[in-house]
Amino acid sequence: MGLQFLVSDMNYYCKKCNKYWNYPVCNCIFCGSELIEVKSSEYRVVGSTTVYIPSKSNEKVPYFVYLLEDENGEKIIRKSHKDYKLGTKVDFKSENKTLRSVGVVGTGLMGSQIAEYLLRYGNNVIIKTRDDSRGERVFSKIKTKISKSFTEEETARSLNNLLITTKYSDLSSCDIIIEASAEEIGVKLEIFKELSDNCDGKTIFATNTSSISIDELSKVSKNPENCIGMHFFNPIERMDLIEVIIGRETSEETKRKIIEFSKDLDKNPIIVNNSPGFIVNRLLLPQINEAILLLEEGVASKEDIDSAVKLGLNHPMGPFQLADFIGLDICLSILEVLSKELSDERIKPANMLYLMVNDGKLGYKSKEGFYKY
Amino acid sequence: MFIRGIGRTKFGVLSNSLPVLAYEAMINALNDSTVGIIDIDAIFISNFLGGPVNGQLHLNSVIASLIPEVNIPILRIETACASSSVALNQALHCINNFENIMIIGVEKMTGPGLIPITDAIAMAGDYEADYKNGLVFPAAYALIAQQYMRKYGIDHSLLEEIAYLNHCNSRMNPLAHFYYKEVTREMIRSSPIVAEPLNLFDCSPVSDGAAAVIVSNKKESDRDIEILSSRIATDTISITQRRDLTSFKSTIVASSKAYNEANIGPGDIDILEVHDCFTISELIALEDLGMCGPGKAIELIENGEISINGSIPVNTDGGLKANGHPIGATGLAQIYEVITQLRSEAGKRQVENPEFGMTQNIGGIGGTCGITIFGV
Repeated sequence: MGLQFLVSDMNYYCKKCNKYWNYPVCNCIFCGSELIEVKSSEYRVVGSTTVYIPSKSNEKVPYFVYLLEDENGEKIIRKSHKDYKLGTKVDFKSENKTLRSVGVVGTGLMGSQIAEYLLRYGNNVIIKTRDDSRGERVFSKIKTKISKSFTEEETARSLNNLLITTKYSDLSSCDIIIEASAEEIGVKLEIFKELSDNCDGKTIFATNTSSISIDELSKVSKNPENCIGMHFFNPIERMDLIEVIIGRETSEETKRKIIEFSKDLDKNPIIVNNSPGFIVNRLLLPQINEAILLLEEGVASKEDIDSAVKLGLNHPMGPFQLADFIGLDICLSILEVLSKELSDERIKPANMLYLMVNDGKLGYKSKEGFYKY
Repeated sequence: MFIRGIGRTKFGVLSNSLPVLAYEAMINALNDSTVGIIDIDAIFISNFLGGPVNGQLHLNSVIASLIPEVNIPILRIETACASSSVALNQALHCINNFENIMIIGVEKMTGPGLIPITDAIAMAGDYEADYKNGLVFPAAYALIAQQYMRKYGIDHSLLEEIAYLNHCNSRMNPLAHFYYKEVTREMIRSSPIVAEPLNLFDCSPVSDGAAAVIVSNKKESDRDIEILSSRIATDTISITQRRDLTSFKSTIVASSKAYNEANIGPGDIDILEVHDCFTISELIALEDLGMCGPGKAIELIENGEISINGSIPVNTDGGLKANGHPIGATGLAQIYEVITQLRSEAGKRQVENPEFGMTQNIGGIGGTCGITIFGV
């Protein structure tokens, strides 16, 4: 795995004056000649340092800073989290090639965000969608978002790495496939079956489920050792956690590869054995449920409960705001899973939650939940 | 002392970065003059917000990387919105030690910034006592406008007229921020309030841009224009420490010294550029510079005296209001316009045979003033 770089590394050269500029300027200020764009593909590591103090744009320490030099002696600085020896040659043309081939099944909120995030990190991404019109929508959504922070050239390069398809067979050569479909066991089982039928024994199947058992899903796969959970959090760009969920059959090899993959995406993977709600939702949903009970019992207003949690527990959002943001239907389905799977009757979804979901008040996405939007 | 070359970029919302903007202005100034970059032996760089907005300080070294392996002395000057006229002033103080000095003004204000632009600009005012109590820049000028309007019994329509005149002039200046925009009196009148009584059209825009000039002790071309005087003066950072809010003492002090040195008076000026960061400051400038008595600017405007064909044409390039206000470049852009007029190269907006020109460049809320007088 090589240095990841997303910055354009063009130099501008005056042949007559033998001078270089790092900035995109057109003419030489000394002689007026038009400058030539020079782009190096191969650099050698001529200097390096390991940095242990964090700064605003470089919070994760330690990291490496490399001084690289091309065949003309022109130098650039690059940051990496990987260790290279002095003198190592870095071929940017091959570095430029995709790191992994990753399939994404599902084009909802999480699926499209995962695909976009993977593209930003230079991966080859294949999105499997149900029909072409969904495919077009997700393409323009990803394009718009990527072009906001990338130059035209970088955007074009990223979108070149994206394929959107309606056929499972197009996913056959993927290294990893992330399933991010609706949180329904029937739907997920069918997808896992299709994936197993279309891929060979090397592809890893990772589900982004927030509550469904990996062991249940892996039963329909020919290679249950390749099945694992990879739970991303919304919004992916800002949430650094990935819950890596290990099933009974998940192999060490699969686990190792997904941890490495998560780190390459600049995320912090944590390991959790398959169990209802894993860690985050097992802690979060009972809290949301308890907040709704407080409201039902008339102990406090929803605004004051949100304020209490924000100011007293230092959470960025209160439980009602967060529940609206997650979606009340999703909250309810996770609570039902927790309630069913945890032997004692520790958790019983609040009545108010059932009523609201039945009324179609699903939170932010339906413009009304505990709050109106 | 002579201006031997001028250059600028277009002003507006531009995609170029700060160094590339500076480079373009430098090349344009060199192309306009008879000197080459190797004849330049010192540079002054003027910029206001490089640190807080662009995350880039040590700008003299940034300029050095635009002229690799030249290694001449370069110095950055910052006096808020007056940075570039003060940079020129400092260059002139050094001129006996050098052959040719280049002065560059540059500002990159649009696009993502480290801190929001309103807060960054507020750094030109008093931070502890005023900004923390909500006195952002438009609010400070709103208080001044209110004082002025009360004192002389004028209403907002006079300010609207100033915005209108500047926008009309900018339609003749292809490099102006609002060259493309046709502005009507109705648009000005009905624009949203920013800080009572000022609305959007009382405020200069947030612009990117750069300007550069080359100065020398020697005149070598007919197009070289003589600098008769460059003077600066200062005043308190907070308006709360001033006795009079309807006049800027720094303008009065700097301009009277400059008139003395140039040995001319206000009546001799044929082309004038004033610092209309807000419309009210154009009114105040006309009075502080002695173009009319206190409270009499209304007459100059109503009688058409400040239009291109009037007795004292003001802001023929569109002023800060419509030419744009890339802060560190603004003072040099004013000088660019006056030199262009004195050379009779202003095309459609040319003033008839101007002999003396003056620029007034304000920093903060009159905390700094740079006055420059030119003659042919």
